[in-house]
Amino acid sequence: MNRPPLLMRVHIKNSNKKFCLWLPLFLIFPIIAVLVLIMAPVILLAGGVLWYTGWGRPLLLIIPLVLSCLCAMRGLEVDINDNREKVLISIK
Amino acid sequence: MADNQKRILEMLAEKRITVEEAEKLLSLIGSKEETGDELPETPVHEKKSHKYLRVVVQPGDGGDPGQQADKVNIRVPMNLIRAGMKLTALIPSHATDKVNEALKEKGIDFDLRNLKADDIEELVTALSDLEVDVQSGKETVHIYVE
Repeated sequence: MNRPPLLMRVHIKNSNKKFCLWLPLFLIFPIIAVLVLIMAPVILLAGGVLWYTGWGRPLLLIIPLVLSCLCAMRGLEVDINDNREKVLISIK
Repeated sequence: MADNQKRILEMLAEKRITVEEAEKLLSLIGSKEETGDELPETPVHEKKSHKYLRVVVQPGDGGDPGQQADKVNIRVPMNLIRAGMKLTALIPSHATDKVNEALKEKGIDFDLRNLKADDIEELVTALSDLEVDVQSGKETVHIYVE
Protein backbone atom coordinates (compact mmCIF):
# COMPACT_ATOMS: atom_id res chain seq x y z
CA MET A 1 0.00 0.00 0.00
CA ASN A 2 1.25 3.50 -0.80
CA ARG A 3 1.81 6.15 1.80
CA PRO A 4 -1.23 8.38 2.24
CA PRO A 5 -1.20 11.62 0.25
CA LEU A 6 0.04 14.70 2.02
CA LEU A 7 -1.37 17.56 0.01
CA MET A 8 -4.44 18.17 -2.10
CA ARG A 9 -4.72 21.06 -4.47
CA VAL A 10 -7.92 22.15 -6.17
CA HIS A 11 -7.89 25.08 -8.54
CA ILE A 12 -10.99 26.12 -10.47
CA LYS A 13 -11.03 29.24 -12.58
CA ASN A 14 -13.62 30.61 -14.97
CA SER A 15 -14.56 34.03 -16.26
CA ASN A 16 -16.66 34.84 -13.19
CA LYS A 17 -14.82 33.33 -10.30
CA LYS A 18 -11.67 31.74 -9.12
CA PHE A 19 -11.39 29.06 -6.45
CA CYS A 20 -8.10 27.84 -5.11
CA LEU A 21 -7.70 25.35 -2.31
CA TRP A 22 -4.54 23.93 -0.80
CA LEU A 23 -5.50 21.23 1.67
CA PRO A 24 -2.78 19.83 3.93
CA LEU A 25 -4.05 16.28 4.24
CA PHE A 26 -1.27 15.38 6.66
CA LEU A 27 -2.99 17.61 9.24
CA ILE A 28 -6.42 16.11 8.67
CA PHE A 29 -5.41 12.45 8.83
CA PRO A 30 -4.65 12.39 12.57
CA ILE A 31 -8.12 13.81 13.23
CA ILE A 32 -9.71 11.19 11.01
CA ALA A 33 -7.63 8.47 12.68
CA VAL A 34 -8.90 9.50 16.09
CA LEU A 35 -12.49 9.52 14.85
CA VAL A 36 -12.06 6.06 13.35
CA LEU A 37 -10.61 4.75 16.61
CA ILE A 38 -13.56 6.15 18.51
CA MET A 39 -16.08 4.70 16.04
CA ALA A 40 -14.31 1.32 15.72
CA PRO A 41 -16.18 -0.46 18.54
CA VAL A 42 -19.50 0.80 17.19
CA ILE A 43 -18.64 -0.37 13.68
CA LEU A 44 -17.53 -3.78 14.94
CA LEU A 45 -20.73 -4.17 16.93
CA ALA A 46 -22.88 -3.07 13.99
CA GLY A 47 -20.98 -5.45 11.71
CA GLY A 48 -21.69 -8.35 14.03
CA VAL A 49 -25.36 -7.47 14.34
CA LEU A 50 -25.82 -7.01 10.58
CA TRP A 51 -23.68 -9.99 9.56
CA TYR A 52 -26.53 -12.32 8.68
CA THR A 53 -28.37 -9.63 6.73
CA GLY A 54 -25.48 -9.44 4.30
CA TRP A 55 -24.45 -5.91 5.28
CA GLY A 56 -22.01 -6.92 8.00
CA ARG A 57 -19.09 -7.80 5.74
CA PRO A 58 -19.31 -4.57 3.68
CA LEU A 59 -19.52 -2.57 6.89
CA LEU A 60 -16.37 -4.17 8.30
CA LEU A 61 -14.48 -3.86 5.03
CA ILE A 62 -15.39 -0.26 4.31
CA ILE A 63 -12.71 1.38 6.41
CA PRO A 64 -9.70 -0.60 5.12
CA LEU A 65 -10.93 -0.36 1.53
CA VAL A 66 -11.55 3.38 1.72
CA LEU A 67 -8.15 3.80 3.33
CA SER A 68 -6.47 1.82 0.54
CA CYS A 69 -8.32 3.95 -2.05
CA LEU A 70 -7.19 7.10 -0.30
CA CYS A 71 -3.57 5.96 -0.22
CA ALA A 72 -3.79 4.94 -3.87
CA MET A 73 -4.89 8.45 -4.83
CA ARG A 74 -1.38 9.73 -4.30
CA GLY A 75 -0.24 10.97 -7.68
CA LEU A 76 -3.70 11.62 -9.11
CA GLU A 77 -3.79 14.64 -11.37
CA VAL A 78 -6.65 16.05 -13.38
CA ASP A 79 -5.92 19.11 -15.49
CA ILE A 80 -8.68 20.30 -17.80
CA ASN A 81 -8.60 23.54 -19.77
CA ASP A 82 -11.34 24.64 -22.09
CA ASN A 83 -12.66 27.97 -23.31
CA ARG A 84 -14.76 28.64 -20.26
CA GLU A 85 -13.03 27.01 -17.36
CA LYS A 86 -9.79 25.65 -16.00
CA VAL A 87 -9.86 22.86 -13.47
CA LEU A 88 -6.84 21.43 -11.71
CA ILE A 89 -7.02 18.71 -9.08
CA SER A 90 -3.75 17.37 -7.79
CA ILE A 91 -3.18 14.96 -4.93
CA LYS A 92 0.43 14.47 -3.86
CA MET B 1 14.65 2.16 -41.88
CA ALA B 2 13.51 5.76 -41.56
CA ASP B 3 10.18 4.57 -40.12
CA ASN B 4 11.91 2.46 -37.49
CA GLN B 5 14.15 5.33 -36.50
CA LYS B 6 11.14 7.63 -36.28
CA ARG B 7 9.31 5.14 -34.05
CA ILE B 8 12.30 4.92 -31.74
CA LEU B 9 12.59 8.69 -31.52
CA GLU B 10 8.84 8.97 -30.80
CA MET B 11 9.12 6.42 -28.00
CA LEU B 12 12.05 8.36 -26.58
CA ALA B 13 10.09 11.63 -26.75
CA GLU B 14 7.19 9.99 -24.94
CA LYS B 15 9.64 8.71 -22.32
CA ARG B 16 8.62 5.13 -22.89
CA ILE B 17 12.27 4.19 -23.31
CA THR B 18 15.44 5.70 -21.92
CA VAL B 19 18.25 7.32 -23.94
CA GLU B 20 20.44 4.23 -23.52
CA GLU B 21 17.70 1.95 -24.80
CA ALA B 22 17.07 4.23 -27.77
CA GLU B 23 20.75 4.17 -28.57
CA LYS B 24 20.77 0.39 -28.38
CA LEU B 25 17.79 0.11 -30.69
CA LEU B 26 19.26 2.52 -33.20
CA SER B 27 22.48 0.53 -33.24
CA LEU B 28 20.40 -2.63 -33.73
CA ILE B 29 18.78 -1.03 -36.76
CA GLY B 30 22.18 -0.35 -38.15
CA SER B 31 23.36 -3.90 -37.61
CA LYS B 32 20.06 -5.42 -38.81
CA GLU B 33 20.31 -3.35 -41.97
CA GLU B 34 23.51 -5.11 -42.81
CA THR B 35 21.94 -8.53 -42.30
CA GLY B 36 18.56 -7.50 -43.76
CA ASP B 37 16.50 -8.50 -40.68
CA GLU B 38 13.53 -6.60 -39.25
CA LEU B 39 13.50 -4.47 -36.15
CA PRO B 40 12.13 -6.30 -33.11
CA GLU B 41 8.68 -5.12 -32.14
CA THR B 42 9.39 -4.47 -28.45
CA PRO B 43 12.32 -2.66 -26.85
CA VAL B 44 15.10 -4.85 -25.44
CA HIS B 45 14.61 -3.80 -21.82
CA GLU B 46 12.42 -5.73 -19.40
CA LYS B 47 8.89 -4.47 -18.92
CA LYS B 48 8.77 -1.81 -16.24
CA SER B 49 6.03 -1.75 -13.64
CA HIS B 50 3.60 0.85 -14.88
CA LYS B 51 2.44 3.39 -12.36
CA TYR B 52 0.00 5.71 -14.08
CA LEU B 53 -2.73 5.65 -16.68
CA ARG B 54 -2.50 8.83 -18.74
CA VAL B 55 -5.18 10.46 -20.82
CA VAL B 56 -3.96 13.38 -22.85
CA VAL B 57 -6.15 15.41 -25.18
CA GLN B 58 -4.48 18.18 -27.12
CA PRO B 59 -5.70 20.45 -29.87
CA GLY B 60 -5.06 19.25 -33.36
CA ASP B 61 -4.06 21.21 -36.41
CA GLY B 62 -7.58 21.47 -37.81
CA GLY B 63 -9.16 23.38 -34.98
CA ASP B 64 -10.46 26.94 -35.03
CA PRO B 65 -7.40 29.18 -34.59
CA GLY B 66 -9.44 31.92 -32.91
CA GLN B 67 -10.79 29.61 -30.26
CA GLN B 68 -8.80 28.04 -27.48
CA ALA B 69 -9.08 24.31 -27.84
CA ASP B 70 -9.75 21.93 -24.98
CA LYS B 71 -6.74 20.50 -23.26
CA VAL B 72 -7.05 17.57 -20.94
CA ASN B 73 -4.27 15.95 -19.00
CA ILE B 74 -5.30 13.22 -16.59
CA ARG B 75 -2.99 10.96 -14.64
CA VAL B 76 -4.56 8.11 -12.68
CA PRO B 77 -2.37 5.92 -10.46
CA MET B 78 -2.71 2.23 -11.33
CA ASN B 79 -2.98 1.45 -7.63
CA LEU B 80 -6.16 3.51 -7.56
CA ILE B 81 -7.61 1.34 -10.31
CA ARG B 82 -6.70 -1.77 -8.30
CA ALA B 83 -8.17 -0.34 -5.11
CA GLY B 84 -11.31 0.78 -6.93
CA MET B 85 -11.92 -2.68 -8.33
CA LYS B 86 -11.56 -4.16 -4.86
CA LEU B 87 -14.50 -1.99 -3.80
CA THR B 88 -16.74 -4.61 -5.41
CA ALA B 89 -16.19 -6.52 -2.15
CA LEU B 90 -18.44 -3.93 -0.52
CA ILE B 91 -21.42 -4.98 -2.60
CA PRO B 92 -23.70 -7.26 -0.51
CA SER B 93 -24.65 -10.63 -1.99
CA HIS B 94 -28.28 -9.72 -2.71
CA ALA B 95 -27.17 -6.55 -4.49
CA THR B 96 -24.60 -8.59 -6.44
CA ASP B 97 -27.42 -10.78 -7.77
CA LYS B 98 -29.27 -7.72 -9.02
CA VAL B 99 -26.13 -6.35 -10.64
CA ASN B 100 -25.49 -9.69 -12.34
CA GLU B 101 -29.07 -9.76 -13.62
CA ALA B 102 -28.74 -6.26 -15.01
CA LEU B 103 -25.48 -7.19 -16.73
CA LYS B 104 -27.10 -10.30 -18.21
CA GLU B 105 -29.95 -8.23 -19.62
CA LYS B 106 -27.36 -6.14 -21.44
CA GLY B 107 -25.78 -9.27 -22.82
CA ILE B 108 -22.82 -9.42 -20.43
CA ASP B 109 -22.67 -12.88 -18.90
CA PHE B 110 -20.37 -12.12 -16.02
CA ASP B 111 -20.62 -12.91 -12.30
CA LEU B 112 -19.15 -10.24 -10.03
CA ARG B 113 -18.54 -12.86 -7.34
CA ASN B 114 -16.01 -14.54 -9.61
CA LEU B 115 -13.84 -11.45 -9.67
CA LYS B 116 -10.77 -12.32 -7.61
CA ALA B 117 -7.61 -10.45 -6.67
CA ASP B 118 -5.56 -12.42 -9.23
CA ASP B 119 -8.02 -11.50 -11.97
CA ILE B 120 -7.80 -7.84 -11.02
CA GLU B 121 -4.04 -7.97 -11.14
CA GLU B 122 -4.13 -9.72 -14.51
CA LEU B 123 -6.55 -7.12 -15.83
CA VAL B 124 -4.37 -4.25 -14.64
CA THR B 125 -1.27 -5.93 -16.07
CA ALA B 126 -3.05 -6.31 -19.41
CA LEU B 127 -4.04 -2.66 -19.18
CA SER B 128 -0.35 -1.87 -19.11
CA ASP B 129 -0.17 -2.73 -22.81
CA LEU B 130 -3.02 -0.42 -23.67
CA GLU B 131 -2.30 2.43 -25.99
CA VAL B 132 -4.92 4.48 -27.80
CA ASP B 133 -3.92 7.16 -30.23
CA VAL B 134 -6.71 9.02 -32.02
CA GLN B 135 -6.01 11.93 -34.28
CA SER B 136 -8.82 13.94 -35.74
CA GLY B 137 -8.82 17.40 -37.23
CA LYS B 138 -9.75 19.17 -34.02
CA GLU B 139 -7.84 17.24 -31.43
CA THR B 140 -5.55 14.35 -30.69
CA VAL B 141 -6.35 11.86 -27.96
CA HIS B 142 -3.61 9.76 -26.48
CA ILE B 143 -4.26 7.16 -23.82
CA TYR B 144 -1.31 5.21 -22.53
CA VAL B 145 0.34 3.80 -19.46
CA GLU B 146 3.60 5.05 -17.99
